[in-house]
Amino acid sequence: MNSVSRRWFLTATAATTLSVTVAGCGSSGSSTSSPTGNVDFWTLQDPTNTVQKAAVDTFNSAGKGKVSMTVIATDGYKDKLRTAMGSAKMPGVFFSWGGGSLNDYVTAGKLVTLDTALESHFLPSALAAGKVGGKLVAIPCRGTQPVFLFYNKKLFADAGVEPPTTYAELQNLVKVFKGKGITPFALAGNASSSWTELMWVEYLVDRLAGPKLFDKIQGGDWSQWKDPAVLKTAQMIKELVDSGAFGKKFGSVNYGAGGTSTLLNKGKAAMVLMGSWEYATQLAEAPDFAKNGLGYVAFPSVEGGKGDAANVVGNPTNYLSVTTSAAKQTATDFLQTTYSDSYVQGLVEKGEVPVTSNAAQYLTKAADPAYAKFQYDLVQKAPSFTQSWDQALGLTLGTPLLTEIQKLFNGQSSPEQFVSAVLAIKK
Amino acid sequence: MRTRPNYLAGAAALVWLLIIGVPLYALVNTAVQPQTTYTDKGPVSIPDTVTLDNFRTVLDSGFLQYIWNTVVVAVATVAIVLALAVPISYAVVRGRGWLTKGVFRLFLLGLAIPSQAVIIPLFLIINNLGFYDTLWGIILPTAAFALPVSVLVLSGGMRDISNELYEAMALDGASPARTLLTLVVPMSKSAIATTCVFTALQAWNGFLFPLIMTQSNDNKVVTLGLYNFVSEYGSNVPALLAAVLMSAVPILVVYLFARRALVAGLMGAGGK
Amino acid sequence: MAWAVPGLLFFLVFAVAPMVGVLYLSFTHWDGLNAPQFTGTANWSRFFGDSQVWQSTSVTGVLLIGNIVVQAPISILLGVWAAGPQRNRAILSALFFLPLLLSTAATAVMWRQLLDPNFGLPSKFEWLFGANPMGTQQGAIACLVLVTTWQFVPFHSLLYQGAARAIPHTLYQAAAIDGAGRVRQFVHITLPQLRNTMITSTIFMVVGGLTAFDIVLLLTNGGPGTDTAILPFSMYQTAFRTYDYGYASAIASFLLLLATAASVLLTKLSGYDKMTSTMEGL
Repeated sequence: MNSVSRRWFLTATAATTLSVTVAGCGSSGSSTSSPTGNVDFWTLQDPTNTVQKAAVDTFNSAGKGKVSMTVIATDGYKDKLRTAMGSAKMPGVFFSWGGGSLNDYVTAGKLVTLDTALESHFLPSALAAGKVGGKLVAIPCRGTQPVFLFYNKKLFADAGVEPPTTYAELQNLVKVFKGKGITPFALAGNASSSWTELMWVEYLVDRLAGPKLFDKIQGGDWSQWKDPAVLKTAQMIKELVDSGAFGKKFGSVNYGAGGTSTLLNKGKAAMVLMGSWEYATQLAEAPDFAKNGLGYVAFPSVEGGKGDAANVVGNPTNYLSVTTSAAKQTATDFLQTTYSDSYVQGLVEKGEVPVTSNAAQYLTKAADPAYAKFQYDLVQKAPSFTQSWDQALGLTLGTPLLTEIQKLFNGQSSPEQFVSAVLAIKK
Repeated sequence: MRTRPNYLAGAAALVWLLIIGVPLYALVNTAVQPQTTYTDKGPVSIPDTVTLDNFRTVLDSGFLQYIWNTVVVAVATVAIVLALAVPISYAVVRGRGWLTKGVFRLFLLGLAIPSQAVIIPLFLIINNLGFYDTLWGIILPTAAFALPVSVLVLSGGMRDISNELYEAMALDGASPARTLLTLVVPMSKSAIATTCVFTALQAWNGFLFPLIMTQSNDNKVVTLGLYNFVSEYGSNVPALLAAVLMSAVPILVVYLFARRALVAGLMGAGGK
Repeated sequence: MAWAVPGLLFFLVFAVAPMVGVLYLSFTHWDGLNAPQFTGTANWSRFFGDSQVWQSTSVTGVLLIGNIVVQAPISILLGVWAAGPQRNRAILSALFFLPLLLSTAATAVMWRQLLDPNFGLPSKFEWLFGANPMGTQQGAIACLVLVTTWQFVPFHSLLYQGAARAIPHTLYQAAAIDGAGRVRQFVHITLPQLRNTMITSTIFMVVGGLTAFDIVLLLTNGGPGTDTAILPFSMYQTAFRTYDYGYASAIASFLLLLATAASVLLTKLSGYDKMTSTMEGL
């Protein structure tokens, strides 16, 4: 082969390639639309979709603009959103978990700052994660989702025990149920569900050291992981695992999919630490159990810990944000639906506990008023409500953190190794 | 040929039959049971209640759209691959000189290149061409990555056509185009069949490209639909497995109607 | 010749250009939202010091070898057996084809359920699967090999079946006359005649091993921990779950390098570029 022409050939290819690639990087996300045009609304798939759809339909028929709703499944939601936000097809309004997940978008200038007048319609603690750098960029669109202990009432009655209020009681319950051949806690230990294990870490760290520890980490001080409370948490988890609190098979168990929820309602596991949405999941899979056999209680206190036992972790709520590609007028008008009476009522009917200031009056009409009141009281009385760590930190830090937590639970890392591995995530 | 029955082989074949059959039985078994009772007796038992509700649930969620999309993707990909690979193989087999040899080497090199490795820049290119969230965003890259195998198989098939036939066509005054259409294509039918089957299966199995290149429900293909179902029907395992069963229907249809072609196409990938 | 040009251009734009793009991006830092920033060799220094990368590579290798070692013998034996003329073999062959009806994603989803330790096959066949099949690295790898084997042996055995059918009877007859028994005939006639097919089959397995992404994603998500995070999965995780596209491109470039080396090695070994036939001499 003639060396000159070959070189030319390869160079031409490279040049074409680079220019195509580089040209691609600069021109994403620019699109103009009239203020009253159509708005693309992206939301996560879950039982409240019907309420959202109703709000969308009502809004559309009022003639102030058109909103089209796209529902995306949990597993790919964040990936999809991220990819779209970097492309020319950004949604106009989208559902998010607030906090760290929005940081990158704000830095890239993709979000519209919202009118502070909206704030008066929501509970202050819930708004916290909707603000980035002091600016309001997201408002609540959903109920609050604290994490707490669910338990199988029948199993407890048969064993003659009460749900735990202290950690010592919890450890005792592990022995009791293990003795009866029942897995004390259902846990989804498969690598795709490690956020369920995160909940345990969040609560133990909070109970031991209080919410300020994670606050500092979220604020950027990664060295806080060296705090002895983290190591103690890891050791307590190892004890739990070794004592059989989660059974022997949890490493292969998935969340949901014939996994943890089924274990609880079939009486193979006694308790599960989960977010408040577990109720809706059980309602769909085993309605009788959900209504009559499912018990719930706050996470117990830990002796000698500095954290207030009334503190809560979980998802304060989920949020809606408006992007720069949206038809601004339509989008902002649409946001008002999130605190409209019909919307709030719809949420309550689905078992959600909305965080709007007008929510309390509707809770009595909830499908399970006792359950709704339990959550509302829990959140209202909580001195602090820490957001799920993977949401608060954003995925770049959250994903490796989840992997390390999974390794700790699975016995692949010792507590000391866990701490050093987590520290190494961010240098 | 051997006339004594080979008992060992027969026994081994039965073991393999169990390995294939038991999971398939569990699949069908779970898919026809209601959500509340499927865990009662375990995956390989005989069910007490049988229902077709799960299939209805799956259909209601737009599954047919996904199947249609996948069929469109498969057909379009095969069409593009044939349109491009046949001429390339023809050129490679008949051509002389550094360019054609180089082209062949290039495609050979591309044989083991995993499409996942280049997904990031590919996303940029597709986005820039305006094909993001369209089926073309899946079709074009899938076709491109199916080219190396196709060129390999097709050139292998064309090489078997003896020189004398080419010379006869040349003597007749046939142009290269005519030679291609009237001699080469009919004589490489099995290679073409193999290419079709192969490329169609590639398109059918495609997962990463649809995952990254499409977003809206209307453009989902079956593999992506199943991935979504895992979280959507988190606790409704029978519905999930019903979806798995239904995803096999299109290929089953092809199998029933074109079994010979399908099997021969797959076998032919082995080369001679 | 001009015939090859359209296909060539197409391939360049959609396959070759992205490969160059990946190399370029590996020298940048990009988070998907803003423009990429050139960072020189930062990603690559990190790459060579990253123990995770070496773990990913070794897991990829282990899975690849595991798959080949398990699938090849089964496929060869099944394929040769199915090539026989007996009636029942044809019927059984049709049954053996069934796994191919499911796409790889469908198979992975199905097995995800079937391998649940409490409600799936392991709950009834604990002697075979163990109590916690995916909780250990060995277990998870075994599960991946199981599912891949289940899905692809039908395909590979078809390859061998087709090739075995084409072996001329004359060879066997001559050997039988010489007094060679069944096993000797298999080792000295069948296997050598299947040489080309073995190479093709291996090429497919290698390509599959370097790209088998959906099975890992759906079944183990790279776990437990990162024990089954094969290279393509690692790359996907870094790019789309931690938004570090620059570093992910470094991983991708490495994957490209491995794949190219595999391509070259295999084509040289197989002599595909020369295309010899097993029919020679007959």
